[in-house]
Amino acid sequence: MILMLPVLAEASFNQFAVVGVLLLIAIVFGVGNLVISKLMGPSREGPIKGLVYESGMNPITPARRRFNVRFYVVAMTFLVFDVEIVFLYPWATTFPSLAQDSPLNVLFLGRMLFFVLTTVIAFLYAWRKGVFRYD
Amino acid sequence: MSVMADKLAGVWPEITLGLGACVCMALGLAKASSTRKLTSWVAGLFLLLSGVLAIAGPQPTSGLILPPQMVLYVKLAVVAVGVVLLLVAAQLPSSWRATHRAEEGIEPFDPANVMRGEFFAFFLFSLAGVMLTTTANDLVWLFLSLELVSLPTYVMVATSQDRIRAQESAVKYFFLGALAVAVFLYGFTLIYGATGFTDLSRVQSAAATTTSPLLTLGIVLAIVGISFKIAAVPMHFYTADVYQGAATPVTAFLAFVPKTAGFVAIIILLSMLPQWPTHGPIMWLLWIMAALTMTVGNVMGLLQTSVKRTLAYSSIAHSGYLLVGLLAGPALLTSGGGGSGAIGNGIAAVLFYLVAYALSTIGAFAVLGCVQVDGHEADSFDDISGLSTKHPGLAAVMLVCVLSLVGLPPLLGFIGKIYLFGSAMAHRGENPAFVWLVVVAVLNSAVSAVYYLRIIGACYFGKPSGRTEPQHCPSRRIAALVCGIAVVVMGVAGNRLVTLARESSQLAQPSQQTPAKVVSDELPTDIHGG
Repeated sequence: MILMLPVLAEASFNQFAVVGVLLLIAIVFGVGNLVISKLMGPSREGPIKGLVYESGMNPITPARRRFNVRFYVVAMTFLVFDVEIVFLYPWATTFPSLAQDSPLNVLFLGRMLFFVLTTVIAFLYAWRKGVFRYD
Repeated sequence: MSVMADKLAGVWPEITLGLGACVCMALGLAKASSTRKLTSWVAGLFLLLSGVLAIAGPQPTSGLILPPQMVLYVKLAVVAVGVVLLLVAAQLPSSWRATHRAEEGIEPFDPANVMRGEFFAFFLFSLAGVMLTTTANDLVWLFLSLELVSLPTYVMVATSQDRIRAQESAVKYFFLGALAVAVFLYGFTLIYGATGFTDLSRVQSAAATTTSPLLTLGIVLAIVGISFKIAAVPMHFYTADVYQGAATPVTAFLAFVPKTAGFVAIIILLSMLPQWPTHGPIMWLLWIMAALTMTVGNVMGLLQTSVKRTLAYSSIAHSGYLLVGLLAGPALLTSGGGGSGAIGNGIAAVLFYLVAYALSTIGAFAVLGCVQVDGHEADSFDDISGLSTKHPGLAAVMLVCVLSLVGLPPLLGFIGKIYLFGSAMAHRGENPAFVWLVVVAVLNSAVSAVYYLRIIGACYFGKPSGRTEPQHCPSRRIAALVCGIAVVVMGVAGNRLVTLARESSQLAQPSQQTPAKVVSDELPTDIHGG
């Protein structure tokens, strides 16, 4: 139904009124939120309020601390496997519903194994590249 | 499942390139140095294999937006120019410090520091992206394939040189690229919002019945976003910095690969419309983009002191010329418009000129890459000053390629420009504004001659500086030679390519079919169908 909105709007408004309305909503939403929080929010000042983290967390060290970049590489490698699960899960839920003697069974299994194989290659590549070596 | 099998049938060349990329990545990490050096050969092998598959392999029978001949033409152009680009880039990884030292046995091989495999893998991935763009039949597919073109190039720029400048330009390239992606993705969401489909053939049929301003705005935003890929105004700002910062082989790569993908994507998007835009906002957008792109490119080109930056602005200007042909659109259906033969078919002209421009500019970049000054690549006009006395062959290739970029008669660039501007003139009956665009284009061509002649002047009449030394990269010389010969020979006898381009561009605009019938049985609720 939402998809029909442009068509409905076109009937009553001018040609580009829809776009204008969209822009208007975007502007009103952005500016409105700022204005409302300015008007309604309590404004308190003080040393605690001026801290780095508004959540109340105490800053431990200066921000310009050095840390190991390897963290990001490991995080990215994790992402590869994470995304793989996203694809594996829907496959796993629909695979048992295929008929036992269907020729598609082998095809479906083969495709998923191929997909897993690509991830294994990525894993081997990362291994050889020394991603998992901490020194 | 036949739908899936049919979709797969069209993408075997791309799958081949993807497999090749995996093999290259593995080979680049091999223990023996001699095995690692094979990587570029293997990349070339897979590239040729994908070309063979594109011709002789299974052809997609349905689900294409572009005509199958055009898909084939672009794929073959990508393979052919890709081979030349591979020749230019083959020795690039050896020039990196870590790779070089590992190969000479100065240091033990450290997999973490050697990028040879990755370079060629990304090279192949990016080419696969262009091929996938041609077969796109869905907004999501189009988006992913365009990203597959661009993402590898960011890494290629960053790792192309051991200089901080390469990384600086890669960061600029990446962030502006992300901005451009956001813009065209916004356009895509509006196209989806206006029609209710991401499937391009359904978008096409929905657009034939309703004229939604959201659809127009969506296509406008998408074109503006894609203008980043083709280096056109208003997304041209990165071009000079990135072209200068990247190593010359990567610069040559950037001048062809994203540009081709971008133009193919714009052709796909414009064929969503009921008819080619000869009036209205999209036509004026392209008109203004073309005029500004040409002018900005050529005027800025006049002010440069670096040959690479000059060629970068020349790349912007040529995108402007290509937009003129794009705007002219497919061949007129009635023969009364004066459009006979290839002239009159703007799409054919664009397809032809993409190859013509690629060969000319890759030749020029290859020559630059063959010369070394003080241990780094030639960049400024002083660096190539007096090239003809020391390297007459390289200077001759530079002369021919640059004259082709100017558009002097017997050469390839001249024929390309005739077709581009001629097709716009042939379509002047549809909109008189096309005539003014051609006037702007011709004036710009004249202005551009000034900076192109400066390059030739530096090569032939400049005082030779003693600092230049030749790079040891035989394949890059071969590539330069191939480009130089192709520019001359195909300029004199390029009819075959023109014919191919013309035959390939019989665009299936819905106005030539029967649009009203398709829509009735496709309800907007059927998004998940098919």
